[in-house]
Amino acid sequence: MTAIIRPTSALRIYIGNKDEAVVEAGRTVRETLISLNIKPELIALVVIDGENKSKDYIIQDGDIVKVLAVIGGG
Amino acid sequence: MNGYGGSIVRINLTTGNISRKPTPVELARDFIGGRGFGAYYLIKEIPRGADPLGPENKLIISSGPISGLMIPGAGKCDFTTKSPLTGGYASASMGGHFTAEMKYAGVDSIILDGISPKPVYILIDNEKIELRDAAEYWGKGTIAVEKEIKEKFGEEFQVALIGPGGENLVHYACINHDFGRQAGRGGVGTVMGAKKVKAIVIHGTRSIPVADVKAFQAAGKALYKACKEASFLREWTRYGTTVVTSWCDEVGALPTRNFSAGSFEDGKDLYGPVMREKIVITDKGCFGCPSPCGKYSRSKKYGSYVEGPEYETIGLMGSNLGISDIEAVAHANLLADDLGIDSISTGNAIGWAMECYEKGILRKSDTDGLDLKFGNVDATFELIGKIARKEGLGALLAEGVKKASKKIGKGSEKFAIHVKGMEQSAYATHNATAMLLAYMTCDVGAHHNRSWAITYDLQVGRDLIVPEKVARVIWLQNFRPMFDVLGGCRLQWVELGIDRELYIPALDAITGIHRTWEDLEKVGERIWNLTRLFWMRENPGFDRNWDLPAPRFYEDAPSSGATKGQITKFEDVNTLLDMYYEQRGWDENGLPGPEKLKLLGLAEFLV
Repeated sequence: MTAIIRPTSALRIYIGNKDEAVVEAGRTVRETLISLNIKPELIALVVIDGENKSKDYIIQDGDIVKVLAVIGGG
Repeated sequence: MNGYGGSIVRINLTTGNISRKPTPVELARDFIGGRGFGAYYLIKEIPRGADPLGPENKLIISSGPISGLMIPGAGKCDFTTKSPLTGGYASASMGGHFTAEMKYAGVDSIILDGISPKPVYILIDNEKIELRDAAEYWGKGTIAVEKEIKEKFGEEFQVALIGPGGENLVHYACINHDFGRQAGRGGVGTVMGAKKVKAIVIHGTRSIPVADVKAFQAAGKALYKACKEASFLREWTRYGTTVVTSWCDEVGALPTRNFSAGSFEDGKDLYGPVMREKIVITDKGCFGCPSPCGKYSRSKKYGSYVEGPEYETIGLMGSNLGISDIEAVAHANLLADDLGIDSISTGNAIGWAMECYEKGILRKSDTDGLDLKFGNVDATFELIGKIARKEGLGALLAEGVKKASKKIGKGSEKFAIHVKGMEQSAYATHNATAMLLAYMTCDVGAHHNRSWAITYDLQVGRDLIVPEKVARVIWLQNFRPMFDVLGGCRLQWVELGIDRELYIPALDAITGIHRTWEDLEKVGERIWNLTRLFWMRENPGFDRNWDLPAPRFYEDAPSSGATKGQITKFEDVNTLLDMYYEQRGWDENGLPGPEKLKLLGLAEFLV
């Protein structure tokens, strides 16, 4: 049971400077971010299959989870 | 000269004299364009002590070397002047298509001085430059006038214009363009109004010389490719700047009831997805933009159409006023745009007035009968009009919160949310020390676009006061405004996260001059010091006190929301400043000395 997480480019340093990483399904987005040492409060948007999700969404098998952080700013 | 329109146009409104001279090569070499040109002409040509609304002040409008070329977001135009709001440096950046048209007309900067004896508009059509009678447009809103001008001259003519707010000299009047883009901050529209210039209409058909066309095409394509392949292109395009509204609410950065808190209990009604669903009709972008952040909206309730609201307006005219109806925010946005007043300063000033009213400092007899409680939508609409017309309480608020609170007193200065007289934009900075420092030291006053450091606070610790944090703020201040020097938009780097190194081969190919980002950041540092000199020169006694934030951020912790009970100690505020001055090479009062200026090659500008 795995899923893929695709963070915004500024967060790729947390996943070995790659575009995406394989993560376990069955945990929330928040828990998954913490497991990757990414502070959940940095994340402005979680998108799965074009739909916005909360950080408390439980990641399902096969999900592609895009997480957007607003590092550069407004 | 490769990358440039090739000329500087000067118009003296008093005499009607118009001149056009080649853009100096040394100026392009040392200050590159846009905000760099503006800062140079500002300190070089505006006499010390000039009245911002007098004939000696100048309004300097500049494009940059990438403006008008096929580079993502190459549609930014800089407006620089001595600010009637702050008495210091004002530089406001405007998107759209105006700057591209300047380049096609062969113009790098337009410099206005003097005061016209009657309302005029300026027509620039390639070689032709004329002053024309603006009697038919004076007194009208920006939307109608831009439409009339476009109908008269043609869609391809680009227009920058003021509304009644600028005509009436509201101290934070803006300059509008493209029915929804603004040079918003610092009162650049006020200066245009003081000069009695209703509009600048420009059209050109020239090509822009480029040093190496093939290399430019390759570099431009690489930039667009990076944008198109960015993983969040869809989301940024869908929500634009409103993508941050929910996040700001979550982390306590959403200004709420005059910045008394950073989270709004009804904030969810203002979030980006809600706005998209309820009112957005379509996306609207600037010149050459692959990721249009502009949202064109319709409010059925108020029967209004507006470009926006974007995040800043949602923060200042929504949560900051206790308003949770996105349609009301959109309509307030339209009123401010049409009247030509900055929605950030306007929302901030109304928030201050509402807090005064709720605290009994202002009474109904002071508000022309308006019940100025937080959340009162109708009173907000009414007050926006009063500000633009300078009627009653509106005349006081039109001066900005620094001057208004000084006049009213009774402790209202403590919750006047500004730095150096400029109202703070839409990031609440309770216990967010990097962002607080960014506002404190921003070169125009409390504006966010130079150094947006709030996520850095979250990354390393909100209350942490360390040299690395200060260094981050300075790096951003030197780097981010370079987009305003180049004449392009920073949001492709900011939002899409494209590698900034991709701009280097493009700039090289356009200008034929090789520059690294390190070189560009040095130019950024020079401009930063130059504008600091201007503040010093124009404000006798200028010292570190000018860099202090609103007391709310060190005395008045929020009683609710994500930052409940959190505050930055005043001693930490001072430590931040000490570290900042040391790293900038300035003295303990934040003043650059002769050695620093010589090091930066700015000795000729010594005060």
